[in-house]
Amino acid sequence: MPSICFYFEVHQPVRLNHFSVFNIGNTKDVHSTYFNQQLNKKIFEKVANKCYLPTNNMLLDLIRQYDGKFRISYSLTGTFVEYCENYLPELIDSFKELFKTGAVDLIEETYFHSLSGLYDELDEFEDQVKMHRQMIQRIFNYKPKVFRNTEAIYDNRIARKIADLGYKGIITEGAEKILGWRSPNFVYKPVNVNLKVLLRNYTLSDDVGFRFSARNWPGFPLTATKYADWMSNSFGDVINLFMDYETFGEHQWTETGIFEFLRHLPSEVLKHNNLDFATVSEAVERYNAVGDIDAPWAISWADEDRNVSTWLGNNMQIACFNELKDIGRKLKRKGDHDLLYVWRLLQTSDHLYYISTKGFEDGNVHAYFSPYEVPYDGFINYMNILQDLKEKAEHR
Amino acid sequence: MKIAMIGWEYPPFKVGGLGTHCYGLTHGLADKNVQIDFYMPKLKQKVKSDNKNINIIEVGEAEVHPYDRPDDKELGGKFFDAVYRYNDLLIKRVRGTYDLIHCHDWLTMKAATALKEKLGIPLILTVHSTEYDRSGWIYPNQWFIDIEREGMQKADRIIAVSEFTKRVVVEKYGINPDKITVVHNAVYPIGDGEKRNLVLFLGRLTIQKGPEFFLKTAKKVLDYEDARFVIAGIGDMMPRLIEQAVHLGISNKVIFTGKLTEEEVKHIYKISSIYVMPSVSEPFGITALEAISAGTPTIVSKSAGVSEVLKNCFKVDFWDTDEMANKIIALLRYDSLHDTMRQSSKREIQLFTWDRVAERTLQVYRGLA
Repeated sequence: MPSICFYFEVHQPVRLNHFSVFNIGNTKDVHSTYFNQQLNKKIFEKVANKCYLPTNNMLLDLIRQYDGKFRISYSLTGTFVEYCENYLPELIDSFKELFKTGAVDLIEETYFHSLSGLYDELDEFEDQVKMHRQMIQRIFNYKPKVFRNTEAIYDNRIARKIADLGYKGIITEGAEKILGWRSPNFVYKPVNVNLKVLLRNYTLSDDVGFRFSARNWPGFPLTATKYADWMSNSFGDVINLFMDYETFGEHQWTETGIFEFLRHLPSEVLKHNNLDFATVSEAVERYNAVGDIDAPWAISWADEDRNVSTWLGNNMQIACFNELKDIGRKLKRKGDHDLLYVWRLLQTSDHLYYISTKGFEDGNVHAYFSPYEVPYDGFINYMNILQDLKEKAEHR
Repeated sequence: MKIAMIGWEYPPFKVGGLGTHCYGLTHGLADKNVQIDFYMPKLKQKVKSDNKNINIIEVGEAEVHPYDRPDDKELGGKFFDAVYRYNDLLIKRVRGTYDLIHCHDWLTMKAATALKEKLGIPLILTVHSTEYDRSGWIYPNQWFIDIEREGMQKADRIIAVSEFTKRVVVEKYGINPDKITVVHNAVYPIGDGEKRNLVLFLGRLTIQKGPEFFLKTAKKVLDYEDARFVIAGIGDMMPRLIEQAVHLGISNKVIFTGKLTEEEVKHIYKISSIYVMPSVSEPFGITALEAISAGTPTIVSKSAGVSEVLKNCFKVDFWDTDEMANKIIALLRYDSLHDTMRQSSKREIQLFTWDRVAERTLQVYRGLA
């Protein structure tokens, strides 16, 4: 009997200001010159109104209506929570209310939604996981049991670190390159440590996340009835449906019928005797691992390639990534907490994502999310800021 | 299908995008079995056809350049005389059985509209630029505008080289948008060369092309990074620009090449590491495609038609010299940026073929036949 594990990623990056080469070395208040607070606030409020607030309300109603049988999980990034605290505290209250129902689980990740899991040493990664842990503890008085790294980036080294940090489970992509012929609808364990791995069923997840409103897709129009049938006919222990929270009302607009789909999904699923809902913690508790997962090289849930080429696929991205790591070493020696925090905000993976030059299919997705007209603009802007921060790390 | 195409210049003797376009278009059409009689003014050197479907017919004598804007009244008078003479001769010389007439820009419009009536066949007009572009939108000359409007009105179909140009034709000349088709230009790739530390401007030195913004940008770049700035081309602004370079204190870093041959143009594209096109008004801007095809990352003005279709380039406002300098400095500093842009843009312009231009043009012809 497959359990449906519905999990949402909730994240907003802190976008950058236009920063020219002529600004390097001439900045005083780093925070206000690097980050475009006006744009960030505007986007956050727009997405909150289109997605976060209405979706939270609907999910709360559904959980109550089905008496806790409808169960979901969230991952909230640190930057997202800071947005809430600065601009919309009632949104945090709404998440608290959801959590109090007992049908909602919270997932750990790096506070800054960063690529620190790919650094040469994992000390920064560990710091950011602990920052996230403290934040969840402070707001929800809860200690997450399952971890998911930025964009589901996963390799054996990260799995070991997460096991060492005491987590019971980790989430990543159900990519063929680690599964081979096997199904993502089971729980696995890393080849090197004792931990459970939940694998995203990317076909069923992307049916909602990407294809929901695609008229040329044979599954169109996707109804809750049809979707529940597909899942009921699926084989396995657990169906992991992981997607961006912004799917609801932002990537898929209200007009596409996405909210109607969500409203009817619990009742349609629960009509099937062989289906139920589980949170991520419940899924790792309930099911045994059926096999090993070996990922010597990092995989992720991004783009067609499902590796880290989305962030480190061209030389511009690699040049920025190397600068970023170098500045970190300098700042840590210096011990300047303000600059360290700014450096961490710059680690958010989105900044590198905007510099991706990947071809049409994926490139179109990138362009949709990017504040820059072309990736080259993203590179110059980000690199100029890194150069300014580097000067400060060296001289202040 | 047999057509009469009326042009003004043709490689190897050309000064602008018009000649390049006519060469690419006629060859693209010839490959699709269209027979073309290409009429053009007789030059000092004889132009030869290299394709059995293209027949070049030289008419009269006119050693004038289509996009010069002579300040001198006497010179101007000679220029207009030459244009009139060419048009008059065309009306007499063009005969035979054609399916349609295709002409380019205002220079041949008088003849083309007269021939349309005389032969009773459809007229297609390609608009490569308008008087508004050539004047940089400062005091456009009504005399040209009237000729252009009349030609546009009488043409059965108009091909515009960009959406930008289509908008001008609709808004400034009052032409029905339904008879205008946009066909973006293409390029014959030039190929990479060994790069030197050169930043290139290439074009006529006129207000339209914005060379003074290039010099202002050069000054800003040179405060931070070392490079040579090449101004390739001739035009009425040359003396002013030389003065400006001296005034900015950068004359030792600026090279004026004067007029270049076709081979020299290719060479300069190959050895330049950055191409800048800061045009005030640019209906298309084939030079951007040429530079990229030579492996040179390119910065184009947002007001250039090419910016509608080219993704892998920088787009800036022509007056925003700070931003232009910001981009040039980054391209000079970061190999990662330069390499990535060079590779991606070269890949992208493989889509810009004359075969595609000919195919779209042929669709316009067929719509009339």
